[in-house]
Amino acid sequence: MPRFNREDILSYIVLVTATLLIGLPFYWMLITALKPIQEIALYPPRWLPGEIRWQNFSEVWQAVPFGRFYLNSLFTTFSTCFLQLVFAGLMAYGFAFIPFPHKQVLFFLVLATMMIPEEMKIVPNYLLLERLGWVNTYWSLIIPPAAQGFPVFVLYMWFRTLPRDLLDAAKVDGAGHWRTFWLVVVPASRPMVIVLTLFAFVNRWNDYLWTLIVTNKTVMRTLPVGLAYFKGTQEGGDHWNLLMAAALLAILPLIILFLLLQRRIVEELPALHITSNR
Amino acid sequence: MRREHLIFLAFIAPNFFLFAVFTYYPILYSIALSFSGWNFLDPQIRFVGIENYLRLVQDGDFWRVLGNTLLYAVSVVLIAQGLAFLLALFLNRRMPAQPFFRTVAFTPHLTMTAAAALVWVLLLDPMQGPLSALYHAIGVEGIRFLTSSALALWAVIIVGIWKEVGFASIFFWAGLQGIDRDIYDAARVDGASPFAILRQITLPLMTPVIFFLMVSGFIQAMKTFDIVAVMTEGGPVYPASATYVYHLYKLAFRDFQAGYASALAVVFFVLIFGVTLLQIKLSQRWLYRGENSAQI
Repeated sequence: MPRFNREDILSYIVLVTATLLIGLPFYWMLITALKPIQEIALYPPRWLPGEIRWQNFSEVWQAVPFGRFYLNSLFTTFSTCFLQLVFAGLMAYGFAFIPFPHKQVLFFLVLATMMIPEEMKIVPNYLLLERLGWVNTYWSLIIPPAAQGFPVFVLYMWFRTLPRDLLDAAKVDGAGHWRTFWLVVVPASRPMVIVLTLFAFVNRWNDYLWTLIVTNKTVMRTLPVGLAYFKGTQEGGDHWNLLMAAALLAILPLIILFLLLQRRIVEELPALHITSNR
Repeated sequence: MRREHLIFLAFIAPNFFLFAVFTYYPILYSIALSFSGWNFLDPQIRFVGIENYLRLVQDGDFWRVLGNTLLYAVSVVLIAQGLAFLLALFLNRRMPAQPFFRTVAFTPHLTMTAAAALVWVLLLDPMQGPLSALYHAIGVEGIRFLTSSALALWAVIIVGIWKEVGFASIFFWAGLQGIDRDIYDAARVDGASPFAILRQITLPLMTPVIFFLMVSGFIQAMKTFDIVAVMTEGGPVYPASATYVYHLYKLAFRDFQAGYASALAVVFFVLIFGVTLLQIKLSQRWLYRGENSAQI
């Protein structure tokens, strides 16, 4: 359609307005992160920084142990995602392809974990981790969140749709379950594995409550708790420019990851949001 | 055959072991603690029967926090998802630049809530930020969201809506994409008005998606913690803007009332469990429409 009609113009007005409103916090984060400190408290505020101060982005690394928060976030997020996918894949394979008497009962126990809010478990799990000596360690940030019912459920559904011939061929070739899993089933499930990894990544990277409870030393904090901590310090409390630079650096990896995998996410989204793991 | 059983157990062992330690056991332990007056410090755990539950029923803070949480959840679901549905209708039109609009819409969902809540403190500030520019232009005194007991919760709700609108609109859009365009074309040929098409075709076909998203969005909203922790800490006068999970956290880890907090946790579980059962029923029905569906 080369020419615009009235409906199209109305649509563009609605979409552009929505985009501006949704995008405003990001814009404000960016311009605040670029302002020198004198411009922060100006009233009325400036919509463009009078002077662009890129140094904010380097100073933030010195103001708090921001580098340490970043490394903690990267290390614990990658570790948990890896374990979560491997454990869930193995379990889903077991339920989908290996015979066992009454395994529906066990599968029900796994599904039941999805109905239990994480928030309910914080007191007993804290006590348990304290007894294990895991408070303020990477163990407590990596291991407990590694077991999730949601990826087991999704992968189980996915495995059941794989062509039977594929698995039979592997059997004829004499491959055991371990080899069939890694060499046949995992490669055939790549799209689902990628999407599940991204979802696990988003969950762990942004998680606030769990880190807040199982760590209390500054050096063990991850980015979300670190940001709140930064706000409470003298440097962060008044230096909104540094705080916003830190916030921007914290959300950047996910936005980049999303832009890279965007097409796939939007395609898989309807199939994926079966439970409320978001 | 015996050997295969062992292999099955080996495959499910890592996850199952972690479930046992970090999910099944804590649930039972939570229930046990909820009948105790424990405070994290006593060497002996003293059992007090249903005292915690009796206290809960009479606790004004509890009811206030439950009310706050329901107001938050209902507002976010109705306002955000209502706007999202309208937005999705526009996202579904065949026009250039749509992928860009969808990308922007999805971004808040990925954004770390702690970071988003921080920038919203600035945005809502009556002395700095875009709202203050608006107040200045009209020449009125700014609204002080975070220092007002009546409005602090609404500041939290606004951030919740911002996080949900775009995500829900993409979800609705994905549902709209699944509707065969021939149906629309046929309706248009028959002379149906856009409003009639919406009421007679779009809404009925989208009902499963709408129900599903409402229930899962509601559960998610009930669990809100981060926004409150970063923006208000339940203040300005506790519990003006406290949500259920924030209250649970405060009771357990600030006031050290492990027993009483556990009673709150058990009640929360019952609430969420009820809604989740409903959700699973709905989602199974909805899933079967997909191509990659499988029956359990």
